[in-house]
Amino acid sequence: MSATDEFVEADNAEAIITRIEHKSRKIESLLKQWKPVEALKTALEGSPPNTRDERCKSANWIVVHRAIMAIKDLDALFSSLDPEYYDILMKYLYRGLSTGDRPTCDQCLRIHERLTERAGLGCILRSLADTANTV
Amino acid sequence: MCLQNFPCQEVERHNKPEVELKTSPELLLKPILICRNEAEKCLIETSINSLRISLKVKQADELENILTKKFLRFLSMRAEAFQVLRRKPVQGYDISFLITNYHCEEMQKHKLIDFIVQFMEDIDKEISELKMSVNTRGRLVAAEFLKQFI
Repeated sequence: MSATDEFVEADNAEAIITRIEHKSRKIESLLKQWKPVEALKTALEGSPPNTRDERCKSANWIVVHRAIMAIKDLDALFSSLDPEYYDILMKYLYRGLSTGDRPTCDQCLRIHERLTERAGLGCILRSLADTANTV
Repeated sequence: MCLQNFPCQEVERHNKPEVELKTSPELLLKPILICRNEAEKCLIETSINSLRISLKVKQADELENILTKKFLRFLSMRAEAFQVLRRKPVQGYDISFLITNYHCEEMQKHKLIDFIVQFMEDIDKEISELKMSVNTRGRLVAAEFLKQFI
């Protein structure tokens, strides 16, 4: 059972990585048009929660990180982001906070504060407790 | 902070803080690492009956390094008095707290959290005060000693 799963994973991994590359090109173009909020939404949309492959997760993280660093206006972000993406964004914020890189951490902390106000403590707890869909 | 009593699964009649042993993955939550910058970080690991918070304090120069080590070692040695302090910090950090369900039963949860937050706020102040007093004393002693050569 797990052998076939891994086989499927390997195929999927390549497909997912190509998808992530497409996404990153789209995001770069959105950022050039000064639309960081749409860029972040696109980045969060294709999040592959069911893959266990570290490369897919790292590739997706790089893309999301780029979008997060480009955000300047937090109010616009929260007015346009759907609530279903709050949990995924929180997981990525914690991943960002663990990097230790000062600008990333500053930005992540800023967004984290606003996101907690918006989404509440449940969001934080779900990102802690969810060991199945990690980012 | 929801901790409940959970007797050990492997050994009968034992009750151990699961976050320290890490034997069963189903009892542990994802550990979070929060870095304020490259020098300061905070690791929070939770399990069903215990919670471990490890802090790494900012140390700008060699003197602060020594002062922090000595000061925090002084506190850790007297961990019995603090109850929630861990005798040895986790590898890579300066000080660790271990909170178990027993502490939550005896003490109020929000007070425990306030204590830890207060600790984090005060530690920087304490270290800079210590550093200033060391420098002042050094200066005074050197001035007194060298007066005899004038």
